[in-house]
Order: sequence, then C-alpha cells, then structure tokens
Amino acid sequence: MPVSPPVRLAAMRAQIAALEAGTRTPTSILAFGDSRIDDCLAGGGLPLGRWHELVGEGLEIETAIAPAAVAALMARPLAAKGAALWVFRRGDLHAPGLQGLGFAAQALIQVQARDDAEALAVMEDALGTQGVSAVLGEVDAIDLTAGRRLQLACEKRGGTGFLIRRRPYGSMAGRTTQEGGSAAASRWRIAPAPSRSPDEALGLLGPPCWRVELERSRGGRPGAWILEQDESHGPHALRVVADLAGGDLAAAEPVRRAG
Amino acid sequence: MATWRRRNPCVAPVEVFPTPFALLTTERAVRRLYAVDAGAAALGLYPGQKATDAGALCPELVTAEADPEGDLEALQALADWCVRFSPAVAVDAPDGLILDITGVSHLWQGEAAMLDDLLARLAANGVPARGAIADTAGAAWALARYGPDRTIAPVGGQLPLLAGLPIAGLRLDETAAAQLPRLGLTRIGRLIDLPRGQLARRFGAHVMLRLDQALGQAEEALTYRRPPSPWWGRVAFAEPISVLDDLVRAAQDVAEKLCARMALEGQGARRFVFTYHRLDGAAPAQEVRLSLAGRDTKRLVKLLAPKLEAIDPGFGIEVVTLTAHEVEPLSGRQGQLEGAKNGYGAAAREETLAPLVDRLTNRLGENRVWRAEPRASHVPEQAVATRPALSVVSGTAWDPDRPRPLRLFRRPEPITVIAKLPDDPPRTFTWRGRPHRVSRAEGPERIAEEWWGRPIGEVTPMALRDYYRVEDEAGGRYWLFREGLYVDGEPMPRWWLHGLFA
Repeated sequence: MPVSPPVRLAAMRAQIAALEAGTRTPTSILAFGDSRIDDCLAGGGLPLGRWHELVGEGLEIETAIAPAAVAALMARPLAAKGAALWVFRRGDLHAPGLQGLGFAAQALIQVQARDDAEALAVMEDALGTQGVSAVLGEVDAIDLTAGRRLQLACEKRGGTGFLIRRRPYGSMAGRTTQEGGSAAASRWRIAPAPSRSPDEALGLLGPPCWRVELERSRGGRPGAWILEQDESHGPHALRVVADLAGGDLAAAEPVRRAG
Repeated sequence: MATWRRRNPCVAPVEVFPTPFALLTTERAVRRLYAVDAGAAALGLYPGQKATDAGALCPELVTAEADPEGDLEALQALADWCVRFSPAVAVDAPDGLILDITGVSHLWQGEAAMLDDLLARLAANGVPARGAIADTAGAAWALARYGPDRTIAPVGGQLPLLAGLPIAGLRLDETAAAQLPRLGLTRIGRLIDLPRGQLARRFGAHVMLRLDQALGQAEEALTYRRPPSPWWGRVAFAEPISVLDDLVRAAQDVAEKLCARMALEGQGARRFVFTYHRLDGAAPAQEVRLSLAGRDTKRLVKLLAPKLEAIDPGFGIEVVTLTAHEVEPLSGRQGQLEGAKNGYGAAAREETLAPLVDRLTNRLGENRVWRAEPRASHVPEQAVATRPALSVVSGTAWDPDRPRPLRLFRRPEPITVIAKLPDDPPRTFTWRGRPHRVSRAEGPERIAEEWWGRPIGEVTPMALRDYYRVEDEAGGRYWLFREGLYVDGEPMPRWWLHGLFA
C-alpha cells in the first residue's frame, strides 16, 4: 500500500527520535533555585542521569578540595533520595567534614580504588545499579571512551555522576592532563574564594565561598559566579553571592591571584 | 622420616633402602637420633640415642639432618588435603591427624570403605600411614599406633580393644609413661582394673584424664585446622578436570547442592569457600564474601568466576568442596521483595545495593569498601571508624559544634609559620614550598592526648595540640596545629597542617 511522503517522513522522524531517546530526551533536573545559574543550564537546572566534571585550579588539582566540596553540595539532595558512593584512590576524605557540609556522611559508601581505570570501572558499575542516585569519583584523567561508557551507565538507571579531577601527589607538576572529552554534560572549574566574615573586627571565618565557573554545559552557556554555602537556601545550599559574568570576571581576577 | 623421603625422592624407594638410615638433631649440644627407619630399628637403634653411640653400633648408618618445622608444615598440608574426607581435621603433632567423620562416612558407603580409601590415597602419595576409627580421639589414637592396622571400633566398644594395648597408647607424659611399666603395668587393661583414687594420687590426674578420654568418659577438645561447618558440599570427578570452564561448572554444581540444602532449611551464608583438591595433594581455595547472607547459586558463581583464573589446576582437580561460613537464617520471601514498589526503604536499599557491594568487595578487596561511623575519640584521626558498607547506620553523629576538615591527612604535614605572639594563630605559613598569608583565623581548639591510654608515668600535660582554622587571602581554608606549648628550656613547638576545609 502506497504511503504518502509526509506520513512516511513523520514515521521516520519518530523512528529517529526513538533511536536517540537514549541520549537526547530531556531528563529530570535538579534546579539550583537561582535563575542566574539555572538559565545557563539546558533544562533549567543540573541535568540528572548524566555525569558532570569538576576541575580544581592551580595546586588545588592535587588536593581537589574545592571541587570535592562543591560536588558534595551538588549531590546532597540526590544522596538523600538514594545511595551515594564516593570513589577515590587517596583515602583522605574525612567523614566528619562531609557531615559539616550537611551531607549524610554515615550512609555514604566509600570505595578506595588502586588506579584510575579501577576507579572509573567502579563508578560505571555503581551508576548502573538500581538504587544508586549519586556517584562521586576522584580521577586524574578520563578519555573519550571512558566518558562515553560512564554516560551509558548513567542512562541505565538515571544515576548522576560527579567526576572530580584530581592529580596524584608527586606526579609531574607541569604535565597538562587532557581536558575531559565532550561526554560530560557540564564542566565546572572551581576555586576557593575568600569567605565573608560575620565579624570583620574579630577576623572570624564565614561560611565557605567558592568561585565557580561553568566552562561548558551541553545545550547551555558558560557562566561564572561566587557561591556561598547557605543552609537556608533550597536543597543545594549553594547561594549566588556575585555574578562574575562579563566585567565582573576581570574584577575578580586579582583577588584570586593574591597570596 | 616419610617427609624426608618425599623431599628427596631420588635416593631410593622406601622398601629397598639399602642401608640403615636415621635423621639427626642437635639437643643441648649433643647430636642425637631424631628418627630411625626399619633397618636401623632392627639393629637396635632408637630415637633419642646419641649419634656417636649409634655410629659405633652401626658404622654403615646413613644420616641426614632432621627438620621438625618442615615436618609440621608437611603435616598441616596433609591436614588441608584431608579436608576432602571431612571438614574437621585436627593436626596431632608430630605425626598424626585426627579426622572427625561424624555424619560424613555415608558418602563412602561406610566407615571401612572410607578408611581404606584414605589410606590407599595416602600410600599412593608416598605417605605410609596407619589408621583406625573409634568413638573417641584417644581410642583411635591408640588403635592406630598400637592396634592392628585399620581397626574399626564398634560404637561404645573400644574398651576390649584397648585393654590389650601397651600403656604408651594412652598419650601419657614422660614420667608416668616411664614409671608404669616398671610397676608391671604394661597393658591398658591392667590400669583400668586398678582403683582410680590411688592411681590418680600416685601418677597424677593426668593419667586418669587420658584414660577417661580414651574411653569416652571425659571430653577432649581438639583444635581443628578449620572450624567445622555443617554446611558443606562436595563434588568428585571420575576424571580430573583442569579447564577453566570446567572449574566454573564444578563450582556451580557444588554450589547448587549446598544452596538447595540451605533453601530447604531456610538458611543463608555470608562467606563461601570453594576448595579445589588437586591430584598432587595441594588444595587451592578461593573465597566469596557476601555483604548480606544469601544462597543464590548464580550470584555466587558470578562472583567466583573471575577469581578462578588464579587457581592453578596442576595435573588436574579431582574433588571440589564448598563450605559455607557465617550461616544465618534467611527467609524465602526476602528474595522477592520489590524495591521499586514500596519506595526506597531500608530493605530495598539492602536488596538493590547488596549485589553491587558484593561485586566491589570481591573485586577490590575486603577493606576497600566501607562506610564511616563516629567513634568516641577527641583525637581527630581516630574519630572515624570504618564499618561494612551495608551495616546499619547508628543514630550518633559527630559533634556539629567542632568543625572538621573535609580532607584529613593521614600524616600531618610540617609547615613553617610566622606568628605575632606565641599563642596567636600564624600570620603566614609555608606549606609545600608555597607561602600563604592568613587573612582570618579561628581557634585555638585544644585537643590533648588520650592520657588514659598510656602508663601514668608517661603522661605529660605537654602532649597537646592547639588547632587553628585559618583562611588565606585566596580563600583556601586550612587546619593547622601547634604541637605542644612554648616553655622555657623546652624545644620550640612545631607546626603542622592536618587538613583542608571546604
């Protein structure tokens, strides 16, 4: 029976849409609750069922403290809904500190891998398991193939991955590790920022602040902000203190270089 | 002696060893015979004799150095090998093995057939051995050494069999064993007839205990090489197997057997040990651990399969045994609970996560997957205890009023600091060769050592740390401490960086 071209075209489009459903359908999101960040992300929030890359800066790349803290805060609402895993090679993660960030540190399953390949394999395995909502991993480098495999694992059960780039101590300082391929849904560059003291005269420490730069987001646009941990602010507890887009970015530079 | 022959097979077979042979040992600077073979014994040589005397009596005596540790190791290896006959094998040094065959002999259609099989296999491996079966370990010990070979005492009937055996069959200590024959008490039967009270007074309660143990009137504790587990499965092959696929199949067969029995009795286990008994006597084993008790054959085999590559089949594997440990009741319904239907409860969490945790622990290792739990300690590095990943989360939490860093270094790293006043937080510090200017600081939080953990004489008020939480101008937050106090005459306290805050 002859079928008219528009009908066939529609059928083929549906077929293609079904084929692409694995990767292209908008998944659920986790909104930051602030339009300044959410507008930069494709679906109006951090897409779930994807993996995100968090990179430190300068010497931080060896301790990865700021990216780890921000990743913990981003994953916090997810960890409350399901199981969370933290995969690392160097076991210096301190659970009481994680609890200080409001993370359910006691329920977190910690896994110590021997090398990057093993850490990535564990992340992949965990993301493909039902009941696991967030997997945080500290990895030195990830290539395109591994990134793609991670993505497929995320799609299997809707788990969300947070890949914290961390270089092992004592490795070549000048070595430029390859920026993670395009498989990540977003890439964030995170550096510490001076906190805002509740009492300048006493010189007390305020809640932690970070300079968060969204370098790449699939279907979105880049941006940069100063974020502060604020428990009264939504599920993420990350509040925008300043938008560093455009002119602000240059103004913020000297602060970052000082010290 | 048999061990020495097995180690040096080129010398000669047992039967045709041409000259008398003995093993020597040095005892308080005197060379003595440690063991003698049949030829030497026939010439009147005995263990414990001085080597020079023996040499004088029998100039053609061939000797070698004794190796008691090696003998014990060989005996233990033999005990491991014997696990194919019974899961409970006790090493009876220096030269015996005791097997608990309660409830196992039916696998061989009777005790006699089992004993014959065991001794035939030992002989085939070049281990001359004698065996006996009795109700008690003591009676079996005596019958195996002094009774006719392959004696099987009927249930409760060891008394007439033991009566004719020499006193030495009672495993007595040296003084009693030397004294009793001098009094004409050479047979066990004579000892049984004597009044117990006098006997105990004269030779010690030890003699009575050994007698009672042999007759089954007193308990005897045996140290089994492996804790016996009633959960035990075994698969034997007509032809030895060696291909990896076959090993996996064999594991599946033996697991199915055991798991079916467990399902019948509503039990599950957390630890499964698969042992592959090789033709040459070695018995490599692999273990599978589960985070929750289970009895799913498929899952077990899946976890075991990658580990089987490490097993060297040698000339072939003839028996596969499986023992289950940490057995606990497991209801049948637990397996069918649907996590997705009743939301995300504790049961669902365990159901879905247990396979993942099992995969990870079996691949990475036992101590590489864990969960943190507060421990009541002021010392920061001891405040975290690790627990199995799926253990129940306790209600306690770390003190929220004491901020702790997100990263805590296992070893604090030394830093150089400049402070305005001795007790002030530092103004600048250098860590890993980079200077940091402190813009804000909080502290100190004084943490003293746990003095109750040391002898009172070593306790000093100087063993304390003053922790400061500081922020440098770039916004990095650090946890520093000063070890000790500034005191005249004492060395300057040192500064350390212990952790990094978020």
